[in-house]
Amino acid sequence: MATEGGGKEMNEIKTQFTTREGLYKLLPHSEYSRPNRVPFNSQGSNPVRVSFVNLNDQSGNGDRLCFNVGRELYFYIYKGVRKAADLSKPIDKRIYKGTQPTCHDFNHLTATAESVSLLVGFSAGQVQLIDPIKKETSKLFNEENSCQHLWKVDWNEERENEGSKTSEEALVTVQRLIDKSRVTCVKWVPGSESLFLVAHSSGAMYLYNVEHTCGTAAPHYQLLKQGDSFAVHTCKSKSTRNPLLKWTVGEGALNEFAFSPDGKFLACVSQDGFLRVFGFDSVELHGSMKSYFGGLLCVCWSPDGKYLVTGGEDDLVTVWSFVDCRVIARGHGHKSWVSVVAFDPYTTSVEESDPMEFSGSDEDFQDLLHFGRDRANSTQSRLSKRNSTESRPVSVTYRFGSVGQDTQLCLWDLTEDILFPHQPLSRARTHTNVMNATSPPSGSTGNSVTTPGNSAPPPLPRSNSLPHSTVSSAGSKSNVADGAIASGVSKFATLSLHDRKDRHHEKDHKRNHSMGHISSKSSDKLNLVTKTKTDPAKTLGTPLCPRMEDVPLLEPLICKKIAHERLTVLIFLEDCIVTACQEGFICTWGRPGKVVSFNP
Amino acid sequence: MMNCFQGTNASALEKDIGPEQFPINEHYFGLVNFGNTCYCNSVLQALYFCRPFRENVLAYKAQQKKKENLLTCLADLFHSIATQKKKVGVIPPKKFISRLRKENDLFDNYMQQDAHEFLNYLLNTIADILQEEKKQEKQNGKLKNGNMNEPAENNKPELTWVHEIFQGTLTNETRCLNCETVSSKDEDFLDLSVDVEQNTSITHCLRMQFELRTNEGIAFSSIFQHCMEIIHEKFLLIRVEWSFSSSGPNRGHYITIVKSHGFWLLFDDDIVEKIDAQAIEEFYGLTSDISKNSESGYILFYQSRE
Repeated sequence: MATEGGGKEMNEIKTQFTTREGLYKLLPHSEYSRPNRVPFNSQGSNPVRVSFVNLNDQSGNGDRLCFNVGRELYFYIYKGVRKAADLSKPIDKRIYKGTQPTCHDFNHLTATAESVSLLVGFSAGQVQLIDPIKKETSKLFNEENSCQHLWKVDWNEERENEGSKTSEEALVTVQRLIDKSRVTCVKWVPGSESLFLVAHSSGAMYLYNVEHTCGTAAPHYQLLKQGDSFAVHTCKSKSTRNPLLKWTVGEGALNEFAFSPDGKFLACVSQDGFLRVFGFDSVELHGSMKSYFGGLLCVCWSPDGKYLVTGGEDDLVTVWSFVDCRVIARGHGHKSWVSVVAFDPYTTSVEESDPMEFSGSDEDFQDLLHFGRDRANSTQSRLSKRNSTESRPVSVTYRFGSVGQDTQLCLWDLTEDILFPHQPLSRARTHTNVMNATSPPSGSTGNSVTTPGNSAPPPLPRSNSLPHSTVSSAGSKSNVADGAIASGVSKFATLSLHDRKDRHHEKDHKRNHSMGHISSKSSDKLNLVTKTKTDPAKTLGTPLCPRMEDVPLLEPLICKKIAHERLTVLIFLEDCIVTACQEGFICTWGRPGKVVSFNP
Repeated sequence: MMNCFQGTNASALEKDIGPEQFPINEHYFGLVNFGNTCYCNSVLQALYFCRPFRENVLAYKAQQKKKENLLTCLADLFHSIATQKKKVGVIPPKKFISRLRKENDLFDNYMQQDAHEFLNYLLNTIADILQEEKKQEKQNGKLKNGNMNEPAENNKPELTWVHEIFQGTLTNETRCLNCETVSSKDEDFLDLSVDVEQNTSITHCLRMQFELRTNEGIAFSSIFQHCMEIIHEKFLLIRVEWSFSSSGPNRGHYITIVKSHGFWLLFDDDIVEKIDAQAIEEFYGLTSDISKNSESGYILFYQSRE
């Protein structure tokens, strides 16, 4: 019974959650979607993405939002927490044939009440510059006949959707001269009205200028700079043409890039698992980091540019210090790939001087009843957090969030004890982790890649390693290193541990235990298992990809299932959080105290 | 049996990959379906593109002629693929199928079988054949040398390359709460059966299944304790091949998706296609309430990063 109840509870979709700053609440009237509000069958479609722009007018109603669902692109007035969404009148709606919009970005500098510049990237590699207010398609890039209006534009004005204007466009699949692969990320260069950067799943990235044409012949590239796993080429031609630059970064798809807040640096995350940070103008590699495993899918800079957070196919969020060029923490809370990470610039440096009362919303109360241990545990950690602040105030310095394919939203705090681990420790949880971090890391000397300036870490002191003695004493098949050789031959069999599954719900609260702690005890055995072999491609145990027990492991502040389908959007706005799922529902979560009850 | 023919689809594949990009010494051949033999074809393709397995099978073929068994038939089939003049095409695995039907009643019919069961059967049979041969060799050697005083430790059957490629070890550790004594027990396995929950990654499901578990005292069974790290170190993280089933056994169809030289290829009996890495997402499985013809991963092969 407990299992069933637990399972049900897990599948329940949350509509509110509480953090130390208060209650966040889903605003059902502020939900944006396709006008018919029908869940979109998302199988095989590109991720739903959302872009915001403020029209810089004096009205105070200048927020606009754009999102793509399947082959459709919508442009609406965004009323945020103040007023209910009016889905019947999209300002602009476009349906594409033969290609799907994958990503988009507004130019915030040029936006006015009369005109906005929206870049849209497509699954077949094209990039379009459109103005959803003027309803113009001004330019098409990476399409050889871009200036000859080869695409068909049908204006079905005032015909359907109660007066909304619909355009259907077929981006004719002609030879794309620059890159035929899917556009993964498109962004205006910070501070520029004309330059933009486009990343593709080919692993290449191109710098364009809206003023220039793409030329009628394939570009000829000339090497500008080459470095470890990246190269930058300029486009060789008599007259200036697009693309201005071609970046080739890593192996496999370039999944996302992000400019630093000052616009000087560019962070790229790729399918090869690497985060690479470049000086954008200097075209120099500043530093890099590797995922625990699998590709990295998303990246975000802290508002002050000091830290980066990535998320990826290892189900983890990873915090990387820009200054020190090292991994400072990992966060484990997602049950599947992390699709978006974002810093919350409005919830940073929260001083925990006044103890917050446990705000018992109905939902929280129910949680407490149903969830029993799990919930109690998190409450406890909250309490202990508060207790610790009584003796020495801890200021929470950074807040960030993440959403993933597990349909969960996680919020994380990057606290001083993680950022500056040498300080006296205030909490038991981090204590374990940071202890591990400060004690000599347990990399086996044999397999670590010799990185300049990073000598191989010494092995973990024996006294610290419980299983070591037992491995040898338990002994019969101690020689795990030789794997199969040592153990006896048995018939191959499938090992299934279904019967042990019934303990799931109990295990849930175990999650709060530090995994790093556990593995640190076993690290000696791990080293036994690890074959000593030098391979340049092997990064685990090096500063590029430290072992699990060598960096602090963060727990999410909150971890809530908030959708039926995988989540693809997380944006922190001043008075709300915006999330979206693959079904095409864009949700607004009112921040504590910002929720207005409006009368429709 | 060597009558091979080139389908129109096959030449399209060659074009799709491009003459310059086509890997040297690689052959992408479809396998003819002899009536519900897609379970067999998909497993054979997956094993063919498991490089160490293929190399060992081809090396076996290079050895002196032996009496026909399932392994010699497999070796002949792999050899005929590997030595084709053309780079793409279709081959009928006739000899292998008839040998299989002769050897095991279970497969001696035109019914759809469970691909996983067949994979188990095939690998165990190959391992048995190899062990038997090693034993024979040893006995022959003993007779020649007249040395009957060899240590008795050889009673244990020897490990074969099949074990070296596919066998893993699961360590169960039990820690006593009072005295902190740890006892550990190893179990060998060929594959792991993982319960995959909706909206979760395979890694997560593995972790959930092999993480800490409380029992009298603290007992934990883990694939070497911290599963993620392990999957990483000892096991298999890079997705190499992928077999898929739609619906269950006896119904539906098996195909194989293989990563070869950086390309993803889809083998559907006699059809071979190059696919986009992104297209694999379609096989991650659908949420239950969408009644669309569901194709989801069934057997996943991972390769150690070392």
